[in-house]
Amino acid sequence: MTVASNVKQCLVTITGIESQLSTLALNSLDREAQAVFHEAAMKIETVKKDLQYRVLELERQEPQYKGS
Amino acid sequence: MNGYIEILLRSVSFILFLFLITKLVGKKQISQLTFFEYVSGITIGSIAGEVVTGLEKNYLQGTLAVLIFGLVTFLSDYFSLKSKKFRDIMEDSGTVIIKDGKLLEENLKKEKYTIDNVLSLLREKNVFKLADVEFAVLEPQGKLSVLLKKENRPLTPKDLQMKMPSEKEPYTIIMDGKILDDALRWSGKSRGWLYTELEKMNATLDNVFLGQVDSYGELTLDLYDDKIQVPQPQQRPLLLASLKKTQADLEIFSLSTECEKTKAMYKKNAEVLQEQIDKLTPYLNG
Repeated sequence: MTVASNVKQCLVTITGIESQLSTLALNSLDREAQAVFHEAAMKIETVKKDLQYRVLELERQEPQYKGS
Repeated sequence: MNGYIEILLRSVSFILFLFLITKLVGKKQISQLTFFEYVSGITIGSIAGEVVTGLEKNYLQGTLAVLIFGLVTFLSDYFSLKSKKFRDIMEDSGTVIIKDGKLLEENLKKEKYTIDNVLSLLREKNVFKLADVEFAVLEPQGKLSVLLKKENRPLTPKDLQMKMPSEKEPYTIIMDGKILDDALRWSGKSRGWLYTELEKMNATLDNVFLGQVDSYGELTLDLYDDKIQVPQPQQRPLLLASLKKTQADLEIFSLSTECEKTKAMYKKNAEVLQEQIDKLTPYLNG
């Protein structure tokens, strides 16, 4: 496992988490729970953006790992 | 032979009549009888019995008596709702029996309860020691309501200063293989959603004996065929686990990278995740 693929895997997991939180926010009946899930999804999105940026950076630095 | 037919007719018509009367008087009759309601209920029953079997007596007179008893009970209920004074006369309020951990002998005597009665009522509430009780009231229905001393009360999350998410009541949306559309609407879900969930769990609608949806939109099923294993909803605990895993991953990245800027980025994001994990844990735990 290279660093790039590890980071990519992590990015995919984060994306999954974000979408699951959004689903929970939509499916929950309790207002408070909805708000908590929604807020968490937004926070996770910022983390996702940072990771996406990092993946691009890694691909630029080490083009041989691109797409893997 | 004529007598039998008459009894048959009287019974059937009286059952219908009593049904109407009980509808009029309401549910209160069974759950919390005031003394008056208790007596009138018994009287209605025995009048009805008399009329049905006592063939020599007039049928309509009995009906009138039952009707009067029913009406008076109904009216007393009605006026009790309207006026506090009337309520005080009709149904007496509770009597304090234990205060500050001490028995009030005067009130006991007034209610004609012996110490043994009180102890047995306390035992029904799982209290064996009088000293554990802070306050107890003898309700008009003859039940004892007990407030334990603070240190003897069951432990609640509030005592532990734990934050618990509020949870809405679950809705039963499938019963005997049929979708209950009203409940489905109250739960804010659609049939389409339900069919998708069922497919996800590999269950057919006919095979579902009971299906409930909780406040997180998770579906729990009980199938007719108990040999088939239904997956229990595990989305939230799994989500919590993957959150924790990602947080750990980010920590590892921040340790293994050499670039200072990237290190700081990973560290910051690991902290963001940790914060979210702390916030979400009460909601995602089971």
